[in-house]
Amino acid sequence: MAKWGMVIDLEKCTGCQACTIACGMENNRLPGEHWQDVIFFTEGKYPNTQIKWFPRPCMHCENPSCVAVCPTRATYKTEEGFVLVDWNRCIGCKYCMIACPYGVRFYTEEKAAYGGPNVKDVFPAEDKHSWNPPWKMPDSQEDWKHGVGVQPHDVVSKCTFCHHRVSKAPKGTADLDPSDPKLREYTPACVVTCAPGARFFGDLDNPESEVNRLIANKNGARLLDHLGNKPQVYYLTGEGGAVPSGRALKKS
Amino acid sequence: MTTRYLEPKNFAEVFTHLGKLYRDHGPLGFLKIAWNLGHEPTPAGAMWKFGLILLTLTFGFSFIMLATVGHASFNTSSDGVNWGMPIATYAFFALMSSGLTMIAALPMVFGFKQFYPIAKRAIWLSIVTLIAGFAVLAMELGHPFRMLWTIPTGLQVMSPMFWMGVFYTIDLILLFIKFYLLWKDDWDSGVSHLVGALGFGAVILASGMLGLVFGSMVMRPMWYGSFTSIFFMLTAALTGAAAIVLAVYMSFGFKREAMPEPLKSMAEGDELPKVFATLIGITLVMVLTRMWTGLWSNLDGLEGFKALFQSPLFHFQVWICFALPFYLMLNRETNRGVMWQVISSVLVLLGMAINRYEFIVGGQLVPMFKGNWVNSLNAYTPSITEWALTLMGWGLAFALYALGERLFKLHAVPGEPRVIR
Repeated sequence: MAKWGMVIDLEKCTGCQACTIACGMENNRLPGEHWQDVIFFTEGKYPNTQIKWFPRPCMHCENPSCVAVCPTRATYKTEEGFVLVDWNRCIGCKYCMIACPYGVRFYTEEKAAYGGPNVKDVFPAEDKHSWNPPWKMPDSQEDWKHGVGVQPHDVVSKCTFCHHRVSKAPKGTADLDPSDPKLREYTPACVVTCAPGARFFGDLDNPESEVNRLIANKNGARLLDHLGNKPQVYYLTGEGGAVPSGRALKKS
Repeated sequence: MTTRYLEPKNFAEVFTHLGKLYRDHGPLGFLKIAWNLGHEPTPAGAMWKFGLILLTLTFGFSFIMLATVGHASFNTSSDGVNWGMPIATYAFFALMSSGLTMIAALPMVFGFKQFYPIAKRAIWLSIVTLIAGFAVLAMELGHPFRMLWTIPTGLQVMSPMFWMGVFYTIDLILLFIKFYLLWKDDWDSGVSHLVGALGFGAVILASGMLGLVFGSMVMRPMWYGSFTSIFFMLTAALTGAAAIVLAVYMSFGFKREAMPEPLKSMAEGDELPKVFATLIGITLVMVLTRMWTGLWSNLDGLEGFKALFQSPLFHFQVWICFALPFYLMLNRETNRGVMWQVISSVLVLLGMAINRYEFIVGGQLVPMFKGNWVNSLNAYTPSITEWALTLMGWGLAFALYALGERLFKLHAVPGEPRVIR
C-alpha cells in the first residue's frame, strides 16, 4: 500500500500561484477558499526587508490533530495516507479547523471572501450542493464520502491530495510524474500545473521513489514539525528557500 | 388575598393536569393560560413574561436568519475566528450549570447542611442552564441532528469534544434523577446520596473535558495546558455561586423578608459571602496569572495576550467585575447587604460572560498560517444573529427558571410540607 506524500522545492517555486488556480479549477473552489494556497509574508524591518512566499497544501499529516479531535470520525486518515472529510458525517462543529496548525480547512457557510460578490449567490444550487459552479468536475467524480466535489451546506472541506485522481493510479507506482503521459491523469492538479517543476508526488514508503531520494539528499524539512503532526509534505530549502519556523505572521 | 399553591406530587399529576387544561381549552386556550402565568403579580410571573418574550424574539430572529442566510449570518470565518460568540455563550452556560451542581453538592455531598435551602434551586437552575447552553450550541452547529447518530457510531474516543458530550449527557441525566428525588422529598436515602456523589463526579469531568477541548490544542498556545481544565472547573464554581445568589433574590423580589425561614437565615448569615468571596479571589488570581504568563512569554502565537491586555473589556472585567465584588464580599460592612450581594452577583456573571468570550475568541486572535492574506491579529465582532443566539440562551434560562419557580417548591429543605407559598 502506497503512502502518498509531496515534496516542494522552495528553490524552484516562483510564487506564481498557478497551483492555487489549478486546484480551484480542479476542485471547484470559491474565490478565497484556497485548499492550496501560496502564503506571502515579510521578514525584517525597513530598509532590510524581504518578501517571501510559501506554498501550502494540506499536509496530510501522519499524526493528524484534525482527525483526533473530530467527534464523529467525519475526518479520517486512509491507509494510503490521505486525510479526508466524509461530508455525510460532518456536523460542522469546526473543531478540526481549530485543531489544524496549518489553517488548511474551510467551512462552507461564510461571507464571501474579499468582500464579494458572493459567487454562491450568483450561481445558486437547486439541489443539496452549496452552489452550482459554472465549471465543475464531472458528476461521476463527485464523492462526498471522500470530500471530493462541490460540497453540501454546513460542512468543512479541505485539500484531498486530489483523491479522485491519485486513488486510481496503478498499484505499485513509486512516483506520479506529470511528465509521464501515462501517469499525468493520476497526478494531483497542483503538481501537474507547476511550471517550474517545483512539486513532486510519490510513495513515501517506497525506498526507490524520487520523493524519498529528494527528501534524503536535500534535507527535506517539515512545516512546524515541533507540533508533532508529522506532515507528509516535505520542503526542500537548499540555498534559496526557507521554511517559516513560526506562523508566518505579518508583524504589526 | 394570598393563594396557596401545592407542589405537584409526581409527573403523573403534572401531565394529567396539563392534559386536562389542553383538552378543556384547546391549543390556543392552553397557550393563553401559559402566557397568563406572566400576569401573576409575582417575581416568577415577571421572569416568565420577560423570558418568554426574549426567547420568542431571539429564537424567531435567529431561526429566520439561519433558514434564509444560513450560518453565513455569523461573523466567523475560516481565515479568522472559527468559534465565535455562540460557542462562548455555550461554554458560559454549560460551566454555570456545572458550578450550580458543585454548589448543590456542598450540602448534599460534602455535608455543609447550612446550604440545604439553596440545593434544590441550584439543581433546577443547573438543569435549566445546561439546556440553555445546549440550545445555543445546537443553533451554532452546522448539522445538529446528524450529531445524534454520527457521534455514537463514530465513537472517536480521542476527541475531547466526544468526552465533553458524554459527561455532559451523563450530568444532565443525573441532574434529572436528583431533582426528581428531591421533588419526592428524598434527601437522605442511599440512592439520593449516590446520585449526588455521581453527579458531582460527572460535572467535575464534564467541565474538565470542556477545558480539555481548548487545553489540548498545542497549536493554539493561548489555550494550551493543564491549567485550562482547572481554570474551567474553578470558574464554573464561581459562575454557579453568582447565579444562585442572584436567582434566590430574584425569586423573592430582592426582599430578604419575603423569604421563608431557613432560606432567610442562610441569606442573612456570613457563610454565603465567604464562599462567594473565596471563589472570586481564586478566579481573580487565575485570570491575572494567565495574563502575566502570556504577556511575558515569547512563544509564537501568544501575541494575542498583548491585544487582550490593551482591551478595555479586560480591565472592566478584572477591576469592576471581579476586584470590586471581591472587596464587597470581604468587607463586613457590605457583605451581608442585599443590594451589595445582588450587585456583586450581577457583576461577577457579567465578568464571567466577558471572560468566556475573551478566552474563546481571544485564543483565536493569532492567525494559524495565513501570512499577509490576513491581518496580524484577526478581527471579530459578533453579528446580530450571534447576539440573538446569546440572548436566546438567557431567554430560555429565565423562562425555564420561572416555570420551575412556579411549579416546584425550590426552597424546600428536608422534611417540610409541599406548600409553595
